Amino acid sequence: MPKLTIDGREVEVAAGTNLIEAARAAGVEIPYFCYHPYLRVVGQCRICMVEIEGQPRLAIACATPVAEGMKVKSETSARAKEAREAVMEFLLENHPLDCPVCDQAGECLLQDHSMTEQGRQFTSHMTDVRRTFPRLERRLLGPHIVQNQNRCIHCSRCIRFTQEVSETSALTYKWRGNGMYIDTFDGKPLDDPMSACVADVCPVGALTVREFRFRKRAWKLRSTPSICPGCSIGCNVWIDHHERAVYRFTPRENPEINATWTCDHGRFLARSLNDQAYLYPHRRVGSQLTRVSWGEAIAALAVDLKAGGRLRVVASPNLSNEELYLARELFGRQLRGELAVPVWAGEPRRMKNGRKEWLESTDAHPNSAGARRLGLELVDGDGLSRFLYGAADLTIVLDASVHPFLATQEALQLLRVGPSIAFARAEHPIANVAGWLLPMASLASDEGTFTSSTGAVQRFAPAFAPPGTVRRTPTGGMSPTVPTIASPWGPPGEARPVWQVLVALARALGVASLDFAGPAEVFAQLVKSEKAFAGLKWEKLEGARQGSFRERQHVG
Amino acid sequence: MSGEAVLLRGRGRPEHATLKGYLAAGGYEGWKKALTAGPDAVVKEVMDSELRGRGGAGFPTARKWSFVPKDHPGPRYLVCNADESEPGTFKDRELMEVDPHQLVEGVAIAAYAIRANTAYIYIRGEFVRWARILEEAIAEARGAGLLGKDALGSGFDLDVWVHRGAGAYICGEETALIESLEGKRGFPRLKPPFPAVVGVFGKPTVVNNVETLACVPHIMTRGAHWFASIGRPRNTGPKLYCISGLVERPGVYELPLGVTFRELIYEHAGGVRGGRALKAFFPGGTSAPIMTAAEVDTKADFDACAEAGTMLGSAGVIVLDEGVDIVEAAANVAHFYAHESCGQCTPCREGSDWCVDILDRVAAGHGRAGDPEALLRICKFSSGGMTICPLGDAFALPISSIVTKFRGEFDRRIAAAAALPQKKLPVLPWAGPRPGFGS
Amino acid sequence: MTPRPIAAAPAESLESVAFDAALSARIDEMLARYPTRRAAILPVLWLCQERFGWISPGVMRAVAERLGESPAFVEGIVTFYTMFYTSPPARYVLQVCTTLSCAVCGGRELVEHLKRRLGIGFGERTADGSFQLIGVQCLGACGGAPVVQINDDYYENLDAARLDAVLGELEGSR
Repeated sequence: MPKLTIDGREVEVAAGTNLIEAARAAGVEIPYFCYHPYLRVVGQCRICMVEIEGQPRLAIACATPVAEGMKVKSETSARAKEAREAVMEFLLENHPLDCPVCDQAGECLLQDHSMTEQGRQFTSHMTDVRRTFPRLERRLLGPHIVQNQNRCIHCSRCIRFTQEVSETSALTYKWRGNGMYIDTFDGKPLDDPMSACVADVCPVGALTVREFRFRKRAWKLRSTPSICPGCSIGCNVWIDHHERAVYRFTPRENPEINATWTCDHGRFLARSLNDQAYLYPHRRVGSQLTRVSWGEAIAALAVDLKAGGRLRVVASPNLSNEELYLARELFGRQLRGELAVPVWAGEPRRMKNGRKEWLESTDAHPNSAGARRLGLELVDGDGLSRFLYGAADLTIVLDASVHPFLATQEALQLLRVGPSIAFARAEHPIANVAGWLLPMASLASDEGTFTSSTGAVQRFAPAFAPPGTVRRTPTGGMSPTVPTIASPWGPPGEARPVWQVLVALARALGVASLDFAGPAEVFAQLVKSEKAFAGLKWEKLEGARQGSFRERQHVG
Repeated sequence: MSGEAVLLRGRGRPEHATLKGYLAAGGYEGWKKALTAGPDAVVKEVMDSELRGRGGAGFPTARKWSFVPKDHPGPRYLVCNADESEPGTFKDRELMEVDPHQLVEGVAIAAYAIRANTAYIYIRGEFVRWARILEEAIAEARGAGLLGKDALGSGFDLDVWVHRGAGAYICGEETALIESLEGKRGFPRLKPPFPAVVGVFGKPTVVNNVETLACVPHIMTRGAHWFASIGRPRNTGPKLYCISGLVERPGVYELPLGVTFRELIYEHAGGVRGGRALKAFFPGGTSAPIMTAAEVDTKADFDACAEAGTMLGSAGVIVLDEGVDIVEAAANVAHFYAHESCGQCTPCREGSDWCVDILDRVAAGHGRAGDPEALLRICKFSSGGMTICPLGDAFALPISSIVTKFRGEFDRRIAAAAALPQKKLPVLPWAGPRPGFGS
Repeated sequence: MTPRPIAAAPAESLESVAFDAALSARIDEMLARYPTRRAAILPVLWLCQERFGWISPGVMRAVAERLGESPAFVEGIVTFYTMFYTSPPARYVLQVCTTLSCAVCGGRELVEHLKRRLGIGFGERTADGSFQLIGVQCLGACGGAPVVQINDDYYENLDAARLDAVLGELEGSR
């Protein structure tokens, strides 16, 4: 491993590492626009100029691999700083400088570097005509992407993304030189399954995500590491949230799974985490649902469960490993119930990892692999139907949204036959038949681990307490304007993650072996007792590299 | 003064452009000799001749060939750069017209020297007629067994194809040419790796200019010693000088390297048109720093030009007389490079167009104090390694040299300038306090 | 000899393009010259422009399909290089060199003369579709400045009178 110094700091990195990454490892930030760790190096923007001892000319850090004994000067090189200042001046010569009305503000590399790379004595020569692209100033490039070509700095990241990652080659430069712009072929929409990633890679406000634009200023957002619930691949995402509302998912780096990408399907599930139709536990009395407290609910349910009888539980591969374990132990082992985990195939999805290999999803759930590894029985729609046709004295549905079959008249009729308990979050017809309706918290308020289809056990963190007001995100066709969420700030609501309810039940039933304080403790038990989890450590599950590449670094 | 015509010996003899005429004049003897001597001997002969690339950079040709890894398995390529586009340069077109077989023979020998079985001649798209001439010459040579499978019974296979560009100056830069040949936009590549290692289709590739390759058959037939005896050490061989602009007899002149610009302009080209005074000249296309009348005694070879702070480049000499408005000339040059910038990297894309804005404004009589400094700053940070390819230098050097050497004209122009009429923004009338916002 | 006039196919006929056997055979010839299909893109576009007069979006789509590229990639190529026409050209395209040697040797006056005579500016075409005027950068024939390229042919050492004679001949040849 070559050893080198950058601004006097010694660092040892793997051979072949470029100077930008080596500097990052040494704690020196070298500015860049066109460089991206998961895209081909093109060396176009010229901002990453550094001085290397013994070389007469400045070098671009992105295209320079480390060498043993290399002495690199970045911040300490007057020449490099002067060159970068010139590059900033070139880039800003034609930039509209419309930061106050640009939604990228706060997470814009051009804005960031204008703070670090422009000297105090900077004088603008911007006195001549400014380049504009009259037809391309605010237009839909595809269903999710808004283009403002005036802000483009021609870094070609978006083009390289479509060529190297999504493999559609749907974007290209048109014409050349100063008048060159980004476009699709002959006005075709950019509508491939990963289209919105071009806005992630865009370092400026030239490409922005339509669904997020002007919903929230970037610096207001808090980010919590999580896992995309859209399919079994388990892409790592940040939940970007504010005042107990989710505003978006942004990809979180994981070279093994999703590099720094996420698909549009998963990305736009973010807002659905805000759906909270049920705020309190309810008990059906006649045809009416009556609000009860959690204490009353748990006590009453414990009595029902103790009564014995044939118990059947519809579990869910949307639940965490910890929740599935608790369900298996409590309902299966202790109460001798029957468990089934319905799996919905959903649409095929795929994702490209950091080695440019495609990963294919097996189904539409984030934890079907975890359910399988915990030895639970996975069933398809027909299996679920057969399961519900069987005789039972009590049915528990741990997640009403697990399978579309549960929303059919057929399923509802079957559930009407005997007593039932249903956990639900978004509005669901099961509320019309269930004897007990328990409000379930969203992924954003839950904590635990999912096992990806590749076998990686990945942890997600709770972003905020469950909201205290009812919220419904409109579903159906994509309207050109998505209504903003009314401020949900206020006392938290009473929806709870499934694990909390299961632990409370276990306690009420006097099952001492399941008396856990939280998911971390459940996980420790998993590590002890389950082969699939042997050797894992809760603290280390976030991955060493995760979050190290993060351009949108508002709040961590 | 002008010696025997070597490269242009076909001039005025249309039959020389045919295979029959070319063979009658001893053509393809160098090719035969090369095939008997072996590739290494060819490289050595050209090395000894001290032939330097005629495309602009003046890099020793045989050294370029020797960078191709000898043990590389799989194909290698020879590419002939016939994308002649540097303003003031029109020698390659003449070579292809009067002696196409000379080029084909040079291509064959060079391909053999680097053990390439495929050669492409990348010719600029506008040269439709010359592409056709080359295609006919290649077909003739192939028909006579000089090219193709088992050329001349040597066991060496060689295919030569003409590849037409489609209008992009940048494709004269060798890595942009390679990208273009691969079917992409002509964006120059980062170096390293150099083409000799990773070139076209990812394989070792040598790119040589037309005139360079035209010299090769003569080196093979008449020997390195003969070639090196023309000109002066390190600056050897016959050279084609293109003279255009305001001279009496513009055209291509074949002269030994090392004639002075004075001889070129006044003796060979008949002097400045209309007997007017020389003001300035570009020594090697417009991308070379401009020279003033005072520098006319400089020798027109690689090293002397470098010593004078300019370069021989493609030896495209453009002569400007006292009547030429130097600011307009600078604007004209800037327009060319802004039009031809590929747009890939920041300083060139933004800088070239910025120069156009400023120079057009100064030329139109709206110059401002600080404009020359702004130009010099743009030029400083568009050159010297700030860009991927030398196009940044190509506009920065001539413009900064013009501003520096003719600063007085810029200052006079700016002092007399009228301010650009300012567009007045409409003033919105005060509408009074809005309801609901208090007073 | 006068330059061959361009016969541009009408846009409606190029909305969806299928290569006929003759053109297809020529494309195969080009493909055989290169180790990759992509490398044949410029030769194939040239063949298409010879056949159809210009490169419509339909032609780009057909080329993309034939070479296994995305249509956007092909459009990126077509627009990078200045010689491909993306709209139907006139019968005779006059490309006037505006670069230094031509400019100082009477090129500027020639441009003014052409604009006056044809009543059009750069980038425009005459109402009858006969002539189109394009200002271009260096044509690589500076020794014969000023230079005009008409379709495929170079006309050098021009002045207003000589150019008028050429244009007259072209107008008469219709």
